[in-house]
Amino acid sequence: MTEIMTLRNVSVHFPVRGFLPFLKKGEIQAVSDVSLGVRRGEIFGLVGESGCGKTTLANTMVGLVKPTAGQVLFEGVDLHSLPREEFKKTRRRMQMIFQDPFSSLNPRFNVYQLVSEPMVIRGEDDEETMKARVVELLEMVGLSAQDLYRYPSDFSGGQRQRIGIARAISLNPTFLVCDEPVSALDVSIHAQILNLLLELQERLNLTYVFISHNLADVKKMCDRLAVMYLGKLMEAGDADKIFARPLHPYTQALIAAVLDIYFSEEREIVVLPGDTPSPINPPPGCRFWQRCPKAMRGCKTVPPAFLEVEEDHFVACHLVNGFPNQDLPEGFDQPMVGREKVPGR
Amino acid sequence: MGEGRAVEQVLKLRNLKVVFPTDYGLIRAVEGVDLDIYHRECVALVGESGCGKSVTSQAVMRLLDSPPALIRMDVLEFDGRDLTQCTEAEMQEIRGKELAMIFQDAMTSLNPVMTVGNQIDEMYRRHYGDSKQAAREKTVHALELIGIPEPKERANSFPHQLSGGMRQRVLLAMAFACMPKLIIADEPTTALDVTIQAQVLKTLRGMQRGCGTSLLLVTHDLSVVAKMADRVYVMYAGKIVEKAPVKELFTNPHHPYTVGLMAAVPRLTDEKKKFTQIPGTVPSPVHKPSGCYFHPRCEYATERCRREMPRLEPMGRDRQVRCFHPLGVGGKSSD
Repeated sequence: MTEIMTLRNVSVHFPVRGFLPFLKKGEIQAVSDVSLGVRRGEIFGLVGESGCGKTTLANTMVGLVKPTAGQVLFEGVDLHSLPREEFKKTRRRMQMIFQDPFSSLNPRFNVYQLVSEPMVIRGEDDEETMKARVVELLEMVGLSAQDLYRYPSDFSGGQRQRIGIARAISLNPTFLVCDEPVSALDVSIHAQILNLLLELQERLNLTYVFISHNLADVKKMCDRLAVMYLGKLMEAGDADKIFARPLHPYTQALIAAVLDIYFSEEREIVVLPGDTPSPINPPPGCRFWQRCPKAMRGCKTVPPAFLEVEEDHFVACHLVNGFPNQDLPEGFDQPMVGREKVPGR
Repeated sequence: MGEGRAVEQVLKLRNLKVVFPTDYGLIRAVEGVDLDIYHRECVALVGESGCGKSVTSQAVMRLLDSPPALIRMDVLEFDGRDLTQCTEAEMQEIRGKELAMIFQDAMTSLNPVMTVGNQIDEMYRRHYGDSKQAAREKTVHALELIGIPEPKERANSFPHQLSGGMRQRVLLAMAFACMPKLIIADEPTTALDVTIQAQVLKTLRGMQRGCGTSLLLVTHDLSVVAKMADRVYVMYAGKIVEKAPVKELFTNPHHPYTVGLMAAVPRLTDEKKKFTQIPGTVPSPVHKPSGCYFHPRCEYATERCRREMPRLEPMGRDRQVRCFHPLGVGGKSSD
């Protein structure tokens, strides 16, 4: 299978400024040195907690954010090497569905204006063609021609998300980024929207990047996935392989933290201690070491390499890959204990 | 908590009705809700947005402004006292001290220009008349109990200097400060990340058991209910549709809505690329359907369901269901 979207060593850093704009205090390393490929026709999951850089990475894919370093290739072409006109044309083929259907729809636009706006921007001006197309799109997402002149405030959250989806597919894109498309919706609506996305994917031959913090959703939706933590990839590859044998301690913790709705007598809650540290000037070693239950002394200073451990299953962890042969601190493979893990010491 | 057992009742609510008059018509947010909470138990009130669960909890705290809300209830007894007769001044004495609340969004429920320590100090100074020093000592102790590292230093932090999980912990410390009889937690972990949610839930459960507090957990998340609650009330469109002890609810749900809700929550063990869905949407609170409010979305609905609203009927020990055709009863399967 060919890759529709390829990221090569992409980093996105945002400067943090002091009280005078030219005094640079530091950098938020939202995404650092990420390489991955999304294959045509698949659903690629991007998993991680808030602040891990998954939305920034998605924005980088569709060209909304320019990477500080690295390349973004869409269908083999470097997005940011294209001249402006070509760039705009290419970007039509990639669209986004946003998390919050309440703030992503202009409340003063009716459904017709909302869904036809991308076509207007493209230069379409024949009202009749546009109207026919909008009605067709609305029917595809489970709304009807009667809804054409209603406003977003007349719709429930789930219906608004359907409008957002209709708008996203209006220019026949091939690549769609869904940024937490259901996390703002009710449980009973949740499944409806995910089923709709699956149905549209089949019908229109779409490729999705599906961003979520809900691992159960990701497991059901995705063919391949990447787990992010503090701007870095921890584990990536074939979804079935990762769920069958999660290798990174962070992936294991994420899977364990999913509260199952089965009732069990012991009702155990598995806890991963600590908070996500600040992405401003992160430590040189593994970014997860402070919270890692299996951290070793070397993890603090030696960055783990991102290696393929089996076909289409990549992990960045010293436990799996072993330490590289370079000058290592003393006792690098000894587990860390107690106060060694307290940040800032 | 079974009926007939000599357990102290903390909260008794009968026939709560809340109506909001709007330009579009009357919004019947809550239509006759009964609620019982006993000593040391955790009761969950589950439902989707707009079902009236938050309005119910705010009515219990007497935090709803009237007007605009029109509130009617037959009984609201807390710890043997009739709250409907309390003046606002008396309510202020009770709130925080004996009846505390934890809100969903810690950022908006903490004061951004006060250190968190000062905000917790206020609890002790207001309710016990403690001196500044005595209050701060208690605050530091409370923060330590809740699992905040370096509590003394953290007490001098402003809310924006803390992470989301940390802020939620500060709210927990504040709620448990005066060892209240009952804590109402309205979606306490919805805004948090999964790993942080697990931390906060574990702390909340540990504190609740340690302090012997009763807990009313208002949530839309059935997986949280499975871990936390002893008894569950399921709400739909302003009415309780099912009430059951947690184990019975999860092993044998009776109401089609409860069954649908459970099936709609994705699990790690499910098959791929297919999501079980409940058709339709939650009815608009202004135009509720005739008969049973769930009938337009219910696959078992009959003519009678379209005409008549079923009553909340007892169904076995300490269980109630509002349905003419309850599932999983008398040989009928819920699959």
